[in-house]
Amino acid sequence: MTNHDWGPLVGDVKVRKDAALAMGGPDRVERQHSLGKLTVRERLDLLLDPGTWVEYGLLADHMDAGIGDRFLAADGAVTGIGEIDGRPIAIAAYDFTVMAGSMGKVGEDKIARMRAHALRQRIPMVWLLDSAGARIQSTSGSSFAGAGALFREQVAMSGVVPMVAAMLGHCAAGTAYIPALCDFVPMVKGTSSMALGGRHLVKAAVGEDVSEEEMGGSAVHTKVSGCADLEVADDAECLRIVRAYLSFFPQHNGDRPPKRATADPVDRRTEELYDIVPTAPRRAYDMRKVVTAIVDDGDVFWMKPDWAKNIVTGLARVGGQPVGIVANQPMVLGGALDVNAADKAARFVWLCDAFNIPLVFLHDVPGFIVGSAVEKQGIIRHGAKMLFAVSEATVPKISVVLRKSYGAGYFVMNGLAYEADYIVAWPTAEIAVMGPDGAVNIIHRKQLEAIEDDDERTARRLELAEEIRANIDPYVAAGHGQLDDVIDPADTRAAIARGLRITADKRVERPARKHGVLPV
Amino acid sequence: MAEIRAEIAANVWQVVVEEGQMVAEGDEICILESMKMEIPVVTEVPGVVRELHVAPEQTVQEGDLIAIIDES
Repeated sequence: MTNHDWGPLVGDVKVRKDAALAMGGPDRVERQHSLGKLTVRERLDLLLDPGTWVEYGLLADHMDAGIGDRFLAADGAVTGIGEIDGRPIAIAAYDFTVMAGSMGKVGEDKIARMRAHALRQRIPMVWLLDSAGARIQSTSGSSFAGAGALFREQVAMSGVVPMVAAMLGHCAAGTAYIPALCDFVPMVKGTSSMALGGRHLVKAAVGEDVSEEEMGGSAVHTKVSGCADLEVADDAECLRIVRAYLSFFPQHNGDRPPKRATADPVDRRTEELYDIVPTAPRRAYDMRKVVTAIVDDGDVFWMKPDWAKNIVTGLARVGGQPVGIVANQPMVLGGALDVNAADKAARFVWLCDAFNIPLVFLHDVPGFIVGSAVEKQGIIRHGAKMLFAVSEATVPKISVVLRKSYGAGYFVMNGLAYEADYIVAWPTAEIAVMGPDGAVNIIHRKQLEAIEDDDERTARRLELAEEIRANIDPYVAAGHGQLDDVIDPADTRAAIARGLRITADKRVERPARKHGVLPV
Repeated sequence: MAEIRAEIAANVWQVVVEEGQMVAEGDEICILESMKMEIPVVTEVPGVVRELHVAPEQTVQEGDLIAIIDES
């Protein structure tokens, strides 16, 4: 026995902590489970390496006289540091069992501390979002005038440390802007949503009667709006996906992405590409199969796979080195680029460039879609955005031209002039300002119009197009030294591995500036 | 009932199915031609082709109705 009576004091610590760990109490926990959701504590167990969790502010409460004596465990926001694959990650996890996970003053102060910590320690931050948004009960007055630092701070973190927002519940307003400023946003199907205004606010403000799911569910944001990256089946899959995503990233922008050992030889011949890709340039095929064939173990982490499907983006590894793949998809819209495809690619390129992940571009693109419909959508500024992102990127940039690569489509897919570090083509490659069928109508328009007989005109058009086609040949580009090599498709994986090896220490210095003026 | 609409302004190159025909998810309904590419239009639902609104050599605008499938 000791001389001093510590028993009650130590016991009190335990009682207080147990109360906090009970979250919103058994009824609320049961309700959470009945909705098909896990509790915040269960989520942390699945997300983090066992035994690594260091909690900050477990004993926090609301401290708000307006709310009275009611105890709000951790003030509805669980914060701390845990590890994923042995690397520390800052966590902000809203607890829906505590006042619907609403954003209280103390909880938000705790999360602010995590943001500061993440930035200071240069570690990624993950938000587990399951929150109704602002705690209006506490913030309905004009003290709102001082609010909003959370978003500004996230902007300051952007591109310095990876940020992930896992959508695990219905989130409105404040908790819908957090994911907007994160790099990666997976959404659980059925139980998660994000919208600037929640259902009741929408009904009151604009008279629309719409469910959270219809307005901002995973189907809306992963297929239509492009605000989220992936739709997942449940909480467990969502947390697994977050771990997998972070495995491609360094802890911060001053570090390199971690390599992972692989048994897949870098010089493995990719002969299946002979079957996948038709030599006839007009015929469609599934570019995802090409990507899968090329990368380590056929393992690709697709980003935004259900939105702007005319371009595919994904994280993968070649020879253990993480890479970002940007590839045209001939199966959708012929692979032609539109406003959403340009947005999707630009965003992905910025993401990879920010975190030193080399980029691999697989070209099969007839160009940007033309016509009045896309002009009204602002194809020029959206196309410029992709051009901007690819031009700015200073990571190793490797291009493989599979078949077509026409016009500005060739530029934005990292053509030679875009500081492509290694650019190779298949024998089927066609690089030109436009295809022969289009060019013939511009170059020889007057000559063709002068021919009165329809059949004769068609015959002459084909003849002239063939003359143009003869100059659209990878060996013409290679002859000018504008392609570094023409390769056997079965050599594609090896070529990319070569490109990565020779660019590993790439360094580009740009003139100092605050930032460019981004087309958006 | 599922409507299939054109996602891009295009010429109709080939119509692959007929009205009344059974189709499976992912089957081609027609092939458009735009941007010098063949663009297959597929059904995302299985069922019967109830209405077909396009014919070869016709032009479609983005959003135009191509077919209606009675979902099975």
